[in-house]
Amino acid sequence: MTVVVAVPDSPEGRTALSAAIDEARRRETDLVVLNLALDPLDVIGMPSDLPITVRERTGHADLADCVLAALDEYEGKVDLLVIGMKRRTPIGKALLGSLSQRLLLEADVPVLAVKR
Amino acid sequence: MSHDTHDAVPAVSTEVPGPHTRRLKLLTVVATFGGLLFGYDTGVINGALPYMTDDLGLTPATEGIVTSSLLLGAALGAFLGGRISDRRGRRTMILWLAVLFAVGTLVCTFAPGVGVMVFGRVVLGLAVGGASVTVIAYLSEVSPAERRGRLVTQNELMIVSGQLLAFVCNAVIGGIWGEAGGVWRWMLVIATLPAVALWIGMLAMPESPRWLASRGRFGEALAVLQQVRDAKRAEAELAEVRALAEEDRAAQTAGWRDLAVPWIRRIVVVGLAIAVMQQITGVNSIMYYGTQILTESGFDRNGALIANIANGVISVVATFVGIWLLGRVPRRPMLIAGQIGTFCALLLVGVFSLVLPEGVGRASVVLALTVTFLAFQQGAISPVTWLMLSEIFPLKLRGLGMGVCGLMLWIVNFLVGLLFPILVAGIGISATFFLFAGLGVCAMLVAKAIVPETKGRTLEQLEREFKQAGAPAEVAR
Repeated sequence: MTVVVAVPDSPEGRTALSAAIDEARRRETDLVVLNLALDPLDVIGMPSDLPITVRERTGHADLADCVLAALDEYEGKVDLLVIGMKRRTPIGKALLGSLSQRLLLEADVPVLAVKR
Repeated sequence: MSHDTHDAVPAVSTEVPGPHTRRLKLLTVVATFGGLLFGYDTGVINGALPYMTDDLGLTPATEGIVTSSLLLGAALGAFLGGRISDRRGRRTMILWLAVLFAVGTLVCTFAPGVGVMVFGRVVLGLAVGGASVTVIAYLSEVSPAERRGRLVTQNELMIVSGQLLAFVCNAVIGGIWGEAGGVWRWMLVIATLPAVALWIGMLAMPESPRWLASRGRFGEALAVLQQVRDAKRAEAELAEVRALAEEDRAAQTAGWRDLAVPWIRRIVVVGLAIAVMQQITGVNSIMYYGTQILTESGFDRNGALIANIANGVISVVATFVGIWLLGRVPRRPMLIAGQIGTFCALLLVGVFSLVLPEGVGRASVVLALTVTFLAFQQGAISPVTWLMLSEIFPLKLRGLGMGVCGLMLWIVNFLVGLLFPILVAGIGISATFFLFAGLGVCAMLVAKAIVPETKGRTLEQLEREFKQAGAPAEVAR
């Protein structure tokens, strides 16, 4: 079984990643890291005791679609999806929509939403 | 000469000369007719405008609209061009662009009034903008890796050559038939010839192998590669072409949402600043209104048409020098030196337009200064702009970044083209040049503050710099 974590290029992403590492250790599963940033994920400092797969984002796709597509791919094998949450201003929300909201509503696996 | 990692694909093997070399050369010539048309259509207005003003009764405002409507079309053409050529193929797209060039030219040539003229200019603009993205994509996709870096600048050279050609044609036609009515129509209609040549030439040219590979048509891609590479290399390169098609997909990763990330936003802002700085010097006020500036300074109409050729010649020469310089000096000092040079020239045009009486003396001084201005602009600022825009974006941001910056270039170009005649009529020629000089100072300060050095540095080093600049201390990932 697997813990999947969505890691955007933000402090929330890094919070989610460390929470996901803890979860995977506790559940003794492997970890799939969905790197949503535009640059490769820094693998230094990632634990070596866990089987970790890093998946990069390619192709022009919405971030949420990207995560949902990955969940489909691992269907039946995902224990938990870990995401980071942050407080957003109403304007920010109106402009960009919410990644966490879409994932919470649309993912068909348990979701752990971590606050900083 | 390019440090673009995009181009840093190891050469599959050294190129052996053969029939394919000639084929590739022919292909390059045909495709760069697109760049030539780009230059001709933007430059021809320069000499045609004074005659058009009499015939069609243009005011400064409608002069600005006739000139700049092409640029509005070009912004749209550049935006749509990339998408359409991704879907339909480069060759098909260039064939349609040739038709669009010819149709737009004919509409402008037979325009009975301002309305039809503006419509024709917008159509031409669509072709110009579309060509600006499609021709470069086509050329870089059919050329061997080691020659790709040179192609972008080669296309730039074709654009200024097209402008020079337009200036020469204007002077010849104006000199011989200047007294006849509607002489500007003859100046415009010449642009149909390279359009027809582009169309016929492209019919015989193959589709881009990389585009074919990106559609999964590997058999056809290999057939094309066998035409333009030696036999041994063609097979080996198909694998490379596949990899590059992958890379192109990766380059389209970023979307608007990624601008929420501070360091991404910083890179895009720097890209936009570089784009604005290239146009805000007012270079295109000289490329579009040079003849009028010289007439206002004291040359007669024919004298101005001939003198304006100097502006075209220096642009071509300076572009050569600029390309040579790029390989030798760092980008930042080159950009700032160019800005200082253009600033001084603009300031002096303003001063001499104020103190010298109108006449051949003042006109000669102004000509010398516009030539100096263009030497710094086309020899330093413009080449650095083109190269830097291709260097600063990390792969996954490239599609979005280049698109946004290209759009910005056209928009500022449009505003300069639209407002220049209105400003000259409103506040006078010397005040207009003082205004450009003032904007030049602002550009210089911005360049000094935010433009990074990209020469000899990897994209990773640049990225790190953008992440550290002004970022709050965050836990390293």
